[in-house]
Amino acid sequence: MRKYLLLTPILLLTACARMDHIQVGDIDQSQGKLKPISVKVSENTVNVDTTLALTDAVLSNGSGSDEIEALRTIWALMNMGPRTGNPVFNDAYAQNVLNQLHAQCQSGKITAIRSVREANDYAIASGEIVRIDADCIL
Amino acid sequence: MIRKFCLLFIALTLSGCVGLNTVSMTQIPKDKGQLVEANAHDWVFLNFTTQNDFADRAVDNLKDLCVGGKISGVFTKHQTTSYFLVFKREVIVSGYCSLPKDRM
Repeated sequence: MRKYLLLTPILLLTACARMDHIQVGDIDQSQGKLKPISVKVSENTVNVDTTLALTDAVLSNGSGSDEIEALRTIWALMNMGPRTGNPVFNDAYAQNVLNQLHAQCQSGKITAIRSVREANDYAIASGEIVRIDADCIL
Repeated sequence: MIRKFCLLFIALTLSGCVGLNTVSMTQIPKDKGQLVEANAHDWVFLNFTTQNDFADRAVDNLKDLCVGGKISGVFTKHQTTSYFLVFKREVIVSGYCSLPKDRM
C-alpha cells in the first residue's frame, strides 16, 4: 500500500509530452518582416482506463476485481473507434483559436501557420493541447 | 552464447520500424519554384520526453532555405522510427520556394 502511495505523486508530477499531429502551411517571407505569434488552448482530462486499473491494483492488491474490470470494459466499448489522445468532456475548447490568433496580428496578414495537436500526459490525467504557431507579416 | 546475445542485441538496436503519424499538404501554385526540404528530429527513450520543440526547428530550417521568398505546396510528414527501447521522432517539411524576380 505504501509503495502505491509513494508511486502516485511521482506519476502525477511527471509529465510526458506527446505529439499527435503537425501541419505546416505556406510560408510567405516576401512581404516584409515576420513576428512570431502563438495560441495554445488545452483541456484537462482524466485517463479513465489507467485510473480504473490503478484503483484496481490498489484496492484489490493486484489480484483484480471483477467489478472494476467490467467498468473498464464498458468504458472501452464507449470509446471505441478512431480518436486522437484521451477523450475530453468539452468539445468546444479549441473553438476560438482563430480569433485569438487574429487578435495578435494587427496587420491581419498571417503566414507560416503550424497547427500542432499535442498533449502532456500525467499518467492518470492529461492536458490535451491544440497549439497554433504562426508568423504575422508586419 | 554471449556472442549470440551480443549479435542479437546489435541487430535489435540497429533495426527500426517506421510509423507514419501524419501527412499534410497545401496548395501547389502553377509557378512552383525550386523544391526545398528541411527536417528535424529528436531521440526519446521509452517515449519519455517533456517537449515537442524539435518540430519548430524543421520550420525554421525550411525558412532559412527560402529567405525573402514564398514557400507553397508545403508537404509535412511526421514519423516515428522505433528502435530497441529508443524512438526517433521526426518532422520532414518540403515545399516549393518562389523568390521575387529581383532576387533570382
